Amino acid sequence: MKKTPESVDVVSMDRRRFLALAGVAALVPGAALSAVTDSIPIARRRMLQLNGYAIDAETPLDALTTYLTPNDLFFVRHHWNPQYPGHKGWSLTVDGEVERPLRLTAQDLRRLPRTTVTCVLQCAGNGRALYNPFVPGVQWKYGAVGNARWTGVRVRDLLEQAGMKPAGRHLHTFGSDRPPVRTPPFHRSVEIEKIMADAIVADEMNGEPLPALHGGPARLVVPGWAGDHWTKWLERLSVASEAQKGFYMETAYRYPKVPGAPGVPVPPAETRPVTELFVKSNVTEAPARARVGAPALLRGFAFSGTPDVGRVEVSDDDGQSWQPADLDPQHDPWAWRLWSFRWSPKAAGRSTLYVRATDGAGAVQPREAAWNPSGYLYNGWHSASIEVDA
Amino acid sequence: MRRGTALSVLALTVAALVASPTDASARRAKKKKAPARSRTAAAASFDPRLPILGTKLAEFPAGPAKAVADQACLACHSVDIVGQQRLTEKQWGAELTKMAGWGADFPADRREELLGYLVKNFGPDAAPWEPVVTRPTGR
Repeated sequence: MKKTPESVDVVSMDRRRFLALAGVAALVPGAALSAVTDSIPIARRRMLQLNGYAIDAETPLDALTTYLTPNDLFFVRHHWNPQYPGHKGWSLTVDGEVERPLRLTAQDLRRLPRTTVTCVLQCAGNGRALYNPFVPGVQWKYGAVGNARWTGVRVRDLLEQAGMKPAGRHLHTFGSDRPPVRTPPFHRSVEIEKIMADAIVADEMNGEPLPALHGGPARLVVPGWAGDHWTKWLERLSVASEAQKGFYMETAYRYPKVPGAPGVPVPPAETRPVTELFVKSNVTEAPARARVGAPALLRGFAFSGTPDVGRVEVSDDDGQSWQPADLDPQHDPWAWRLWSFRWSPKAAGRSTLYVRATDGAGAVQPREAAWNPSGYLYNGWHSASIEVDA
Repeated sequence: MRRGTALSVLALTVAALVASPTDASARRAKKKKAPARSRTAAAASFDPRLPILGTKLAEFPAGPAKAVADQACLACHSVDIVGQQRLTEKQWGAELTKMAGWGADFPADRREELLGYLVKNFGPDAAPWEPVVTRPTGR
Protein backbone atom coordinates (compact mmCIF):
# COMPACT_ATOMS: atom_id res chain seq x y z
CA MET A 1 0.00 0.00 0.00
CA LYS A 2 2.99 2.35 -0.23
CA LYS A 3 1.58 3.27 -3.62
CA THR A 4 -0.51 6.04 -2.04
CA PRO A 5 1.83 8.89 -3.12
CA GLU A 6 1.68 7.56 -6.71
CA SER A 7 -2.10 7.60 -6.56
CA VAL A 8 -2.12 11.17 -5.30
CA ASP A 9 0.30 12.03 -8.07
CA VAL A 10 -2.19 10.81 -10.66
CA VAL A 11 -4.76 13.27 -9.36
CA SER A 12 -2.39 16.22 -9.22
CA MET A 13 -0.99 15.46 -12.67
CA ASP A 14 -4.51 15.26 -14.05
CA ARG A 15 -5.17 18.64 -12.48
CA ARG A 16 -2.08 20.19 -14.07
CA ARG A 17 -2.92 18.74 -17.46
CA PHE A 18 -6.51 19.82 -17.07
CA LEU A 19 -5.43 23.40 -16.44
CA ALA A 20 -3.23 23.26 -19.54
CA LEU A 21 -6.11 21.83 -21.58
CA ALA A 22 -8.55 24.39 -20.22
CA GLY A 23 -6.53 27.06 -22.02
CA VAL A 24 -6.93 25.16 -25.28
CA ALA A 25 -10.61 24.53 -24.60
CA ALA A 26 -11.24 28.28 -24.42
CA LEU A 27 -10.08 28.52 -28.04
CA VAL A 28 -12.19 25.65 -29.33
CA PRO A 29 -15.93 26.29 -29.70
CA GLY A 30 -17.97 23.66 -27.90
CA ALA A 31 -15.03 22.43 -25.87
CA ALA A 32 -15.38 24.80 -22.93
CA LEU A 33 -16.31 22.05 -20.52
CA SER A 34 -15.87 24.03 -17.35
CA ALA A 35 -18.83 26.13 -18.45
CA VAL A 36 -20.89 22.95 -18.76
CA THR A 37 -19.84 21.87 -15.27
CA ASP A 38 -20.64 25.25 -13.79
CA SER A 39 -24.16 25.22 -15.24
CA ILE A 40 -25.15 22.56 -12.71
CA PRO A 41 -26.15 24.31 -9.46
CA ILE A 42 -23.97 23.58 -6.42
CA ALA A 43 -26.90 22.08 -4.50
CA ARG A 44 -27.22 19.39 -7.20
CA ARG A 45 -23.50 18.65 -7.41
CA ARG A 46 -23.38 15.48 -5.35
CA MET A 47 -23.15 11.72 -5.73
CA LEU A 48 -25.09 8.81 -4.26
CA GLN A 49 -22.77 6.23 -2.71
CA LEU A 50 -24.06 2.69 -3.20
CA ASN A 51 -20.87 1.02 -2.03
CA GLY A 52 -18.20 2.69 0.11
CA TYR A 53 -15.55 0.22 -1.15
CA ALA A 54 -15.18 -1.07 -3.82
CA ILE A 55 -16.67 2.24 -4.97
CA ASP A 56 -20.06 2.29 -6.63
CA ALA A 57 -21.75 5.67 -6.93
CA GLU A 58 -24.54 6.98 -9.13
CA THR A 59 -25.40 10.50 -10.23
CA PRO A 60 -28.67 12.03 -9.00
CA LEU A 61 -30.98 12.57 -11.99
CA ASP A 62 -31.21 16.31 -11.36
CA ALA A 63 -27.47 16.59 -12.02
CA LEU A 64 -27.76 14.84 -15.41
CA THR A 65 -29.05 17.94 -17.17
CA THR A 66 -26.15 18.72 -19.50
CA TYR A 67 -25.23 17.20 -22.87
CA LEU A 68 -21.81 16.21 -21.50
CA THR A 69 -21.78 14.81 -17.99
CA PRO A 70 -18.92 16.40 -16.02
CA ASN A 71 -16.21 13.92 -15.02
CA ASP A 72 -16.62 14.62 -11.31
CA LEU A 73 -20.34 13.85 -11.51
CA PHE A 74 -20.02 10.76 -13.69
CA PHE A 75 -21.12 7.49 -12.09
CA VAL A 76 -18.40 5.21 -10.71
CA ARG A 77 -18.55 1.42 -10.82
CA HIS A 78 -15.69 -0.70 -9.45
CA HIS A 79 -15.93 -4.45 -9.06
CA TRP A 80 -13.24 -4.42 -6.38
CA ASN A 81 -10.57 -2.13 -5.05
CA PRO A 82 -8.40 -1.50 -8.10
CA GLN A 83 -4.66 -1.03 -8.16
CA TYR A 84 -4.68 2.30 -9.99
CA PRO A 85 -1.85 1.92 -12.49
CA GLY A 86 -0.84 5.58 -12.76
CA HIS A 87 0.89 6.82 -15.93
CA LYS A 88 4.50 6.02 -15.01
CA GLY A 89 5.45 2.58 -16.20
CA TRP A 90 1.97 1.92 -17.68
CA SER A 91 1.80 0.21 -21.04
CA LEU A 92 -0.77 -1.45 -23.26
CA THR A 93 0.06 -4.79 -24.84
CA VAL A 94 -1.62 -5.99 -28.04
CA ASP A 95 -1.01 -9.69 -28.66
CA GLY A 96 -2.67 -13.02 -29.47
CA GLU A 97 -3.58 -13.73 -33.11
CA VAL A 98 -1.39 -10.93 -34.52
CA GLU A 99 1.77 -10.88 -36.66
CA ARG A 100 3.57 -8.19 -34.63
CA PRO A 101 2.64 -7.87 -30.93
CA LEU A 102 2.72 -4.27 -29.68
CA ARG A 103 3.65 -2.69 -26.38
CA LEU A 104 2.61 0.96 -26.17
CA THR A 105 3.36 3.48 -23.44
CA ALA A 106 0.98 6.35 -22.67
CA GLN A 107 3.19 8.58 -24.84
CA ASP A 108 3.15 6.06 -27.72
CA LEU A 109 -0.64 6.03 -27.58
CA ARG A 110 -0.81 9.81 -27.79
CA ARG A 111 1.38 9.84 -30.93
CA LEU A 112 -1.06 7.66 -32.90
CA PRO A 113 -3.92 9.16 -34.96
CA ARG A 114 -6.58 10.41 -32.54
CA THR A 115 -10.32 10.10 -32.73
CA THR A 116 -13.23 11.29 -30.58
CA VAL A 117 -16.64 9.76 -29.97
CA THR A 118 -19.37 11.35 -27.87
CA CYS A 119 -21.54 8.62 -26.43
CA VAL A 120 -23.44 7.27 -23.48
CA LEU A 121 -21.83 4.98 -20.95
CA GLN A 122 -24.43 3.05 -18.98
CA CYS A 123 -23.86 0.28 -16.47
CA ALA A 124 -25.66 -2.90 -17.60
CA GLY A 125 -27.37 -2.95 -14.19
CA ASN A 126 -28.64 0.64 -14.21
CA GLY A 127 -32.25 0.50 -12.97
CA ARG A 128 -31.88 -2.90 -11.27
CA ALA A 129 -33.54 -1.48 -8.14
CA LEU A 130 -36.68 -0.76 -10.17
CA TYR A 131 -37.36 -4.41 -11.02
CA ASN A 132 -39.97 -6.39 -9.12
CA PRO A 133 -39.40 -9.01 -7.79
CA PHE A 134 -36.14 -7.84 -6.21
CA VAL A 135 -32.93 -8.71 -8.05
CA PRO A 136 -29.68 -9.14 -6.04
CA GLY A 137 -26.77 -6.87 -6.96
CA VAL A 138 -25.86 -3.20 -6.78
CA GLN A 139 -29.21 -1.40 -6.42
CA TRP A 140 -28.73 1.21 -9.12
CA LYS A 141 -31.80 3.34 -9.73
CA TYR A 142 -31.43 5.94 -12.48
CA GLY A 143 -27.95 7.45 -12.43
CA ALA A 144 -25.48 4.74 -13.48
CA VAL A 145 -25.38 6.51 -16.82
CA GLY A 146 -23.66 9.54 -18.33
CA ASN A 147 -22.73 11.06 -21.66
CA ALA A 148 -19.12 12.00 -22.38
CA ARG A 149 -16.69 12.90 -25.11
CA TRP A 150 -14.14 10.08 -25.26
CA THR A 151 -10.86 10.62 -27.11
CA GLY A 152 -8.15 8.14 -27.95
CA VAL A 153 -7.06 5.69 -30.60
CA ARG A 154 -9.22 3.42 -32.77
CA VAL A 155 -8.71 -0.22 -31.77
CA ARG A 156 -8.92 -1.00 -35.50
CA ASP A 157 -5.75 1.06 -36.05
CA LEU A 158 -3.95 -0.85 -33.29
CA LEU A 159 -4.99 -4.21 -34.71
CA GLU A 160 -3.97 -3.18 -38.24
CA GLN A 161 -0.59 -2.02 -36.93
CA ALA A 162 -0.19 -5.35 -35.12
CA GLY A 163 -1.27 -7.32 -38.20
CA MET A 164 -4.33 -9.20 -37.01
CA LYS A 165 -4.48 -12.74 -38.39
CA PRO A 166 -7.62 -14.04 -40.16
CA ALA A 167 -8.30 -16.33 -37.18
CA GLY A 168 -9.13 -13.29 -35.02
CA ARG A 169 -12.84 -13.29 -34.13
CA HIS A 170 -12.86 -11.91 -30.57
CA LEU A 171 -10.84 -9.33 -28.67
CA HIS A 172 -10.05 -10.39 -25.10
CA THR A 173 -9.67 -7.38 -22.81
CA PHE A 174 -7.72 -7.21 -19.56
CA GLY A 175 -7.57 -4.44 -16.96
CA SER A 176 -5.09 -4.12 -14.12
CA ASP A 177 -7.71 -4.59 -11.38
CA ARG A 178 -7.13 -7.83 -9.54
CA PRO A 179 -9.92 -9.62 -7.67
CA PRO A 180 -9.59 -10.45 -3.96
CA VAL A 181 -8.98 -14.00 -2.70
CA ARG A 182 -10.70 -16.50 -5.06
CA THR A 183 -13.09 -14.08 -6.78
CA PRO A 184 -12.98 -14.71 -10.54
CA PRO A 185 -11.11 -12.08 -12.59
CA PHE A 186 -13.07 -9.55 -14.63
CA HIS A 187 -11.96 -10.87 -17.99
CA ARG A 188 -14.12 -9.99 -20.94
CA SER A 189 -14.16 -10.17 -24.73
CA VAL A 190 -15.94 -8.32 -27.52
CA GLU A 191 -16.74 -9.62 -31.03
CA ILE A 192 -14.16 -8.37 -33.53
CA GLU A 193 -16.82 -6.89 -35.86
CA LYS A 194 -17.93 -4.42 -33.18
CA ILE A 195 -14.32 -3.66 -32.23
CA MET A 196 -13.32 -2.95 -35.85
CA ALA A 197 -16.44 -0.83 -36.42
CA ASP A 198 -16.08 1.78 -33.71
CA ALA A 199 -14.30 0.78 -30.47
CA ILE A 200 -11.56 3.05 -29.17
CA VAL A 201 -8.91 2.96 -26.46
CA ALA A 202 -9.69 6.24 -24.69
CA ASP A 203 -7.18 8.16 -22.60
CA GLU A 204 -9.22 11.36 -22.44
CA MET A 205 -12.70 12.02 -21.07
CA ASN A 206 -14.36 15.35 -21.82
CA GLY A 207 -11.02 16.88 -22.80
CA GLU A 208 -9.25 15.87 -19.59
CA PRO A 209 -6.89 12.94 -19.03
CA LEU A 210 -9.09 9.94 -18.24
CA PRO A 211 -9.48 10.01 -14.43
CA ALA A 212 -8.19 6.98 -12.52
CA LEU A 213 -11.69 6.46 -11.06
CA HIS A 214 -12.96 5.98 -14.60
CA GLY A 215 -10.22 3.63 -15.76
CA GLY A 216 -7.25 5.91 -16.46
CA PRO A 217 -4.67 5.84 -17.98
CA ALA A 218 -6.85 4.17 -20.63
CA ARG A 219 -10.10 2.25 -21.00
CA LEU A 220 -12.03 0.63 -23.79
CA VAL A 221 -14.96 2.57 -25.25
CA VAL A 222 -17.59 0.48 -27.05
CA PRO A 223 -20.22 2.95 -28.34
CA GLY A 224 -23.81 1.85 -27.80
CA TRP A 225 -22.89 -1.18 -25.72
CA ALA A 226 -23.31 -1.61 -21.97
CA GLY A 227 -20.49 -0.68 -19.60
CA ASP A 228 -19.32 -4.25 -18.92
CA HIS A 229 -17.54 -4.13 -22.30
CA TRP A 230 -15.72 -0.88 -21.47
CA THR A 231 -12.75 -2.44 -19.63
CA LYS A 232 -11.07 0.05 -17.28
CA TRP A 233 -7.35 0.35 -16.41
CA LEU A 234 -6.71 -1.39 -19.72
CA GLU A 235 -3.35 -3.17 -19.91
CA ARG A 236 -3.76 -5.87 -22.55
CA LEU A 237 -5.81 -6.57 -25.68
CA SER A 238 -5.46 -10.08 -27.03
CA VAL A 239 -6.92 -11.28 -30.32
CA ALA A 240 -8.40 -14.80 -30.20
CA SER A 241 -10.52 -17.13 -32.26
CA GLU A 242 -12.93 -17.84 -29.39
CA ALA A 243 -14.78 -15.67 -26.87
CA GLN A 244 -13.27 -15.34 -23.42
CA LYS A 245 -14.40 -17.84 -20.78
CA GLY A 246 -15.10 -17.34 -17.09
CA PHE A 247 -17.73 -16.08 -14.65
CA TYR A 248 -18.04 -12.60 -16.15
CA MET A 249 -18.68 -14.01 -19.64
CA GLU A 250 -20.57 -17.25 -18.97
CA THR A 251 -22.66 -16.39 -15.89
CA ALA A 252 -22.75 -12.63 -15.38
CA TYR A 253 -23.73 -9.99 -17.93
CA ARG A 254 -26.14 -12.29 -19.72
CA TYR A 255 -29.73 -11.56 -20.73
CA PRO A 256 -32.51 -14.04 -21.58
CA LYS A 257 -32.85 -14.72 -25.31
CA VAL A 258 -36.58 -14.61 -24.63
CA PRO A 259 -37.50 -12.86 -21.37
CA GLY A 260 -39.83 -15.00 -19.27
CA ALA A 261 -42.12 -14.48 -16.31
CA PRO A 262 -40.88 -12.18 -13.52
CA GLY A 263 -39.01 -14.07 -10.79
CA VAL A 264 -38.43 -17.22 -12.83
CA PRO A 265 -34.77 -18.31 -13.27
CA VAL A 266 -33.40 -18.68 -16.82
CA PRO A 267 -30.93 -21.51 -17.67
CA PRO A 268 -27.54 -20.24 -19.01
CA ALA A 269 -28.13 -21.92 -22.39
CA GLU A 270 -31.16 -19.68 -22.88
CA THR A 271 -29.21 -16.47 -22.36
CA ARG A 272 -27.04 -14.25 -24.55
CA PRO A 273 -24.44 -11.61 -23.62
CA VAL A 274 -25.73 -8.13 -22.81
CA THR A 275 -24.60 -5.95 -25.71
CA GLU A 276 -26.56 -2.98 -27.14
CA LEU A 277 -28.34 -0.61 -24.78
CA PHE A 278 -32.13 -0.54 -25.01
CA VAL A 279 -33.98 2.64 -25.98
CA LYS A 280 -34.63 4.66 -22.83
CA SER A 281 -35.58 8.11 -21.59
CA ASN A 282 -35.62 9.78 -18.19
CA VAL A 283 -37.04 12.93 -16.66
CA THR A 284 -34.34 15.02 -14.98
CA GLU A 285 -36.30 18.15 -14.12
CA ALA A 286 -40.00 18.68 -13.46
CA PRO A 287 -41.79 21.05 -11.08
CA ALA A 288 -43.41 19.49 -8.00
CA ARG A 289 -46.37 21.89 -8.39
CA ALA A 290 -48.03 23.66 -11.29
CA ARG A 291 -51.17 25.75 -11.94
CA VAL A 292 -54.01 25.15 -14.38
CA GLY A 293 -53.32 27.13 -17.54
CA ALA A 294 -49.69 27.92 -16.67
CA PRO A 295 -47.22 25.82 -18.69
CA ALA A 296 -44.83 23.61 -16.70
CA LEU A 297 -41.43 22.71 -18.16
CA LEU A 298 -40.13 19.15 -18.06
CA ARG A 299 -36.62 18.20 -19.20
CA GLY A 300 -34.67 15.00 -19.57
CA PHE A 301 -32.47 12.81 -21.75
CA ALA A 302 -33.04 9.88 -24.10
CA PHE A 303 -30.67 7.41 -25.75
CA SER A 304 -30.42 4.04 -27.45
CA GLY A 305 -27.74 1.54 -28.45
CA THR A 306 -29.26 1.83 -31.93
CA PRO A 307 -28.60 5.31 -33.31
CA ASP A 308 -30.24 7.76 -33.16
CA VAL A 309 -33.07 8.81 -30.85
CA GLY A 310 -35.84 9.65 -33.30
CA ARG A 311 -38.64 10.74 -31.02
CA VAL A 312 -39.40 11.54 -27.39
CA GLU A 313 -43.02 11.81 -26.29
CA VAL A 314 -44.92 12.68 -23.14
CA SER A 315 -48.32 11.40 -22.00
CA ASP A 316 -50.53 12.94 -19.32
CA ASP A 317 -53.31 10.36 -19.70
CA ASP A 318 -51.59 7.13 -18.64
CA GLY A 319 -50.24 6.37 -22.10
CA GLN A 320 -53.54 6.78 -23.99
CA SER A 321 -52.17 9.64 -26.11
CA TRP A 322 -48.70 11.11 -26.62
CA GLN A 323 -47.40 14.57 -27.42
CA PRO A 324 -43.96 15.14 -28.96
CA ALA A 325 -41.19 16.68 -26.83
CA ASP A 326 -38.68 19.13 -28.32
CA LEU A 327 -35.28 17.60 -29.04
CA ASP A 328 -32.11 19.59 -28.35
CA PRO A 329 -30.10 20.21 -31.56
CA GLN A 330 -26.93 18.65 -30.07
CA HIS A 331 -26.60 15.00 -30.92
CA ASP A 332 -24.17 12.25 -31.90
CA PRO A 333 -25.07 8.70 -32.94
CA TRP A 334 -24.64 6.97 -29.55
CA ALA A 335 -24.93 10.04 -27.37
CA TRP A 336 -27.99 10.98 -25.44
CA ARG A 337 -30.38 13.60 -26.67
CA LEU A 338 -31.65 16.21 -24.26
CA TRP A 339 -35.38 16.90 -24.56
CA SER A 340 -37.83 19.40 -23.12
CA PHE A 341 -41.60 19.50 -22.95
CA ARG A 342 -43.93 22.36 -22.11
CA TRP A 343 -46.99 20.91 -20.43
CA SER A 344 -50.24 22.83 -19.99
CA PRO A 345 -52.17 21.43 -17.02
CA LYS A 346 -55.91 21.36 -17.74
CA ALA A 347 -57.34 20.25 -14.40
CA ALA A 348 -56.46 20.53 -10.72
CA GLY A 349 -55.21 17.48 -8.83
CA ARG A 350 -52.25 15.14 -9.06
CA SER A 351 -51.01 14.28 -12.56
CA THR A 352 -48.50 11.67 -13.63
CA LEU A 353 -46.57 12.46 -16.80
CA TYR A 354 -44.88 9.54 -18.55
CA VAL A 355 -42.05 9.87 -21.06
CA ARG A 356 -41.04 7.38 -23.75
CA ALA A 357 -38.42 7.38 -26.52
CA THR A 358 -38.30 5.77 -29.97
CA ASP A 359 -34.95 5.02 -31.64
CA GLY A 360 -33.74 5.09 -35.24
CA ALA A 361 -34.75 1.47 -35.80
CA GLY A 362 -38.28 2.16 -34.57
CA ALA A 363 -37.89 0.45 -31.17
CA VAL A 364 -40.26 2.05 -28.68
CA GLN A 365 -39.50 2.23 -24.97
CA PRO A 366 -41.91 -0.16 -23.22
CA ARG A 367 -44.12 0.66 -20.24
CA GLU A 368 -42.62 -2.21 -18.25
CA ALA A 369 -39.02 -3.35 -18.67
CA ALA A 370 -38.68 -7.10 -19.19
CA TRP A 371 -37.73 -8.63 -15.83
CA ASN A 372 -34.55 -10.71 -16.04
CA PRO A 373 -32.68 -12.66 -13.34
CA SER A 374 -29.71 -10.25 -13.13
CA GLY A 375 -31.71 -7.05 -13.50
CA TYR A 376 -30.01 -5.71 -16.62
CA LEU A 377 -31.00 -3.00 -19.10
CA TYR A 378 -34.01 -1.57 -17.27
CA ASN A 379 -35.89 0.76 -19.61
CA GLY A 380 -39.48 1.02 -18.39
CA TRP A 381 -41.30 4.35 -18.73
CA HIS A 382 -40.12 7.03 -16.34
CA SER A 383 -42.59 9.52 -14.93
CA ALA A 384 -42.94 12.78 -13.03
CA SER A 385 -45.72 13.41 -10.54
CA ILE A 386 -47.01 16.99 -10.47
CA GLU A 387 -49.57 18.51 -8.09
CA VAL A 388 -51.73 20.93 -10.07
CA ASP A 389 -53.45 23.81 -8.26
CA ALA A 390 -56.62 25.35 -9.62
CA MET B 1 -5.64 -5.91 13.28
CA ARG B 2 -3.79 -6.16 9.98
CA ARG B 3 -7.11 -6.00 8.17
CA GLY B 4 -8.09 -2.86 10.10
CA THR B 5 -4.82 -1.18 9.18
CA ALA B 6 -5.15 -2.23 5.56
CA LEU B 7 -8.69 -0.87 5.43
CA SER B 8 -7.61 2.47 6.93
CA VAL B 9 -4.86 2.81 4.33
CA LEU B 10 -7.32 1.83 1.64
CA ALA B 11 -9.84 4.43 2.82
CA LEU B 12 -7.12 7.11 2.72
CA THR B 13 -6.06 6.07 -0.78
CA VAL B 14 -9.63 6.21 -2.00
CA ALA B 15 -10.20 9.54 -0.25
CA ALA B 16 -7.11 10.96 -1.99
CA LEU B 17 -8.46 9.85 -5.35
CA VAL B 18 -12.03 10.96 -5.00
CA ALA B 19 -11.35 14.24 -3.18
CA SER B 20 -11.91 17.12 -5.55
CA PRO B 21 -8.82 19.21 -6.29
CA THR B 22 -10.83 22.14 -4.97
CA ASP B 23 -10.50 20.47 -1.55
CA ALA B 24 -6.79 21.08 -1.59
CA SER B 25 -7.14 24.61 -2.91
CA ALA B 26 -9.78 25.34 -0.27
CA ARG B 27 -7.40 24.11 2.45
CA ARG B 28 -4.60 26.23 1.03
CA ALA B 29 -6.92 29.22 0.90
CA LYS B 30 -7.84 28.68 4.56
CA LYS B 31 -4.19 28.86 5.61
CA LYS B 32 -3.84 32.35 4.16
CA LYS B 33 -4.54 35.14 6.62
CA ALA B 34 -7.47 36.78 4.87
CA PRO B 35 -8.86 34.78 1.96
CA ALA B 36 -11.07 36.91 -0.23
CA ARG B 37 -14.69 35.88 0.27
CA SER B 38 -15.39 35.71 -3.45
CA ARG B 39 -12.37 33.48 -4.06
CA THR B 40 -13.45 31.02 -1.40
CA ALA B 41 -16.94 30.92 -2.86
CA ALA B 42 -15.57 30.29 -6.34
CA ALA B 43 -13.46 27.38 -5.05
CA ALA B 44 -16.45 25.55 -3.55
CA SER B 45 -18.22 23.78 -6.39
CA PHE B 46 -20.10 21.52 -3.98
CA ASP B 47 -21.51 21.57 -0.47
CA PRO B 48 -18.40 21.07 1.72
CA ARG B 49 -20.53 19.57 4.51
CA LEU B 50 -21.01 16.46 2.39
CA PRO B 51 -18.63 13.56 3.04
CA ILE B 52 -16.01 12.50 0.50
CA LEU B 53 -17.13 9.46 -1.49
CA GLY B 54 -15.97 6.26 0.18
CA THR B 55 -15.31 7.75 3.62
CA LYS B 56 -18.70 7.38 5.32
CA LEU B 57 -18.98 3.69 6.03
CA ALA B 58 -22.00 2.06 7.65
CA GLU B 59 -21.68 -0.67 10.31
CA PHE B 60 -23.51 -3.97 10.39
CA PRO B 61 -26.43 -3.92 12.85
CA ALA B 62 -25.74 -5.20 16.37
CA GLY B 63 -26.33 -8.89 16.99
CA PRO B 64 -24.50 -12.05 17.99
CA ALA B 65 -23.42 -12.70 14.37
CA LYS B 66 -22.15 -9.16 13.70
CA ALA B 67 -18.53 -10.20 14.25
CA VAL B 68 -18.98 -13.14 11.85
CA ALA B 69 -20.46 -10.81 9.22
CA ASP B 70 -17.62 -8.30 9.76
CA GLN B 71 -15.02 -11.01 9.23
CA ALA B 72 -16.78 -12.64 6.29
CA CYS B 73 -17.70 -9.55 4.27
CA LEU B 74 -15.64 -6.47 5.04
CA ALA B 75 -12.23 -7.56 3.75
CA CYS B 76 -13.52 -7.10 0.19
CA HIS B 77 -16.45 -4.65 0.34
CA SER B 78 -18.30 -2.22 2.57
CA VAL B 79 -21.53 -2.89 4.50
CA ASP B 80 -23.46 -0.83 1.90
CA ILE B 81 -23.66 -3.55 -0.72
CA VAL B 82 -25.03 -6.04 1.84
CA GLY B 83 -27.33 -3.48 3.48
CA GLN B 84 -29.14 -2.65 0.23
CA GLN B 85 -30.10 -6.28 -0.54
CA ARG B 86 -33.60 -7.53 0.32
CA LEU B 87 -33.25 -11.28 -0.14
CA THR B 88 -35.19 -14.33 0.92
CA GLU B 89 -33.54 -17.05 2.99
CA LYS B 90 -33.01 -19.08 -0.18
CA GLN B 91 -31.37 -16.13 -1.97
CA TRP B 92 -29.13 -15.29 1.02
CA GLY B 93 -28.13 -18.96 1.17
CA ALA B 94 -27.08 -18.84 -2.49
CA GLU B 95 -25.11 -15.62 -1.84
CA LEU B 96 -23.29 -17.21 1.12
CA THR B 97 -22.37 -20.25 -0.98
CA LYS B 98 -21.07 -18.02 -3.79
CA MET B 99 -19.12 -15.76 -1.45
CA ALA B 100 -17.62 -18.69 0.49
CA GLY B 101 -16.39 -20.04 -2.83
CA TRP B 102 -14.88 -16.65 -3.64
CA GLY B 103 -13.02 -16.58 -0.32
CA ALA B 104 -15.38 -15.08 2.28
CA ASP B 105 -13.86 -16.03 5.62
CA PHE B 106 -16.40 -17.46 8.09
CA PRO B 107 -16.41 -20.69 10.14
CA ALA B 108 -18.59 -23.41 8.62
CA ASP B 109 -20.23 -24.03 12.00
CA ARG B 110 -21.47 -20.43 12.12
CA ARG B 111 -22.98 -20.37 8.63
CA GLU B 112 -26.56 -20.89 9.87
CA GLU B 113 -26.16 -18.12 12.42
CA LEU B 114 -24.82 -15.76 9.75
CA LEU B 115 -27.65 -16.74 7.38
CA GLY B 116 -30.27 -16.00 10.06
CA TYR B 117 -28.63 -12.64 10.79
CA LEU B 118 -28.68 -11.63 7.10
CA VAL B 119 -32.32 -12.71 6.64
CA LYS B 120 -33.38 -10.91 9.83
CA ASN B 121 -31.68 -7.62 8.92
CA PHE B 122 -31.75 -7.64 5.12
CA GLY B 123 -34.77 -9.78 4.27
CA PRO B 124 -37.62 -8.87 1.92
CA ASP B 125 -39.50 -6.90 4.60
CA ALA B 126 -36.59 -4.79 5.90
CA ALA B 127 -36.98 -1.01 5.80
CA PRO B 128 -35.94 0.76 2.56
CA TRP B 129 -32.22 1.41 2.13
CA GLU B 130 -30.90 4.87 1.30
CA PRO B 131 -27.53 5.64 -0.31
CA VAL B 132 -25.04 8.04 1.30
CA VAL B 133 -25.10 11.48 -0.34
CA THR B 134 -21.50 12.53 -0.99
CA ARG B 135 -19.46 15.21 -2.72
CA PRO B 136 -18.67 14.91 -6.42
CA THR B 137 -15.55 12.88 -7.15
CA GLY B 138 -12.19 14.34 -8.06
CA ARG B 139 -11.48 14.91 -11.70
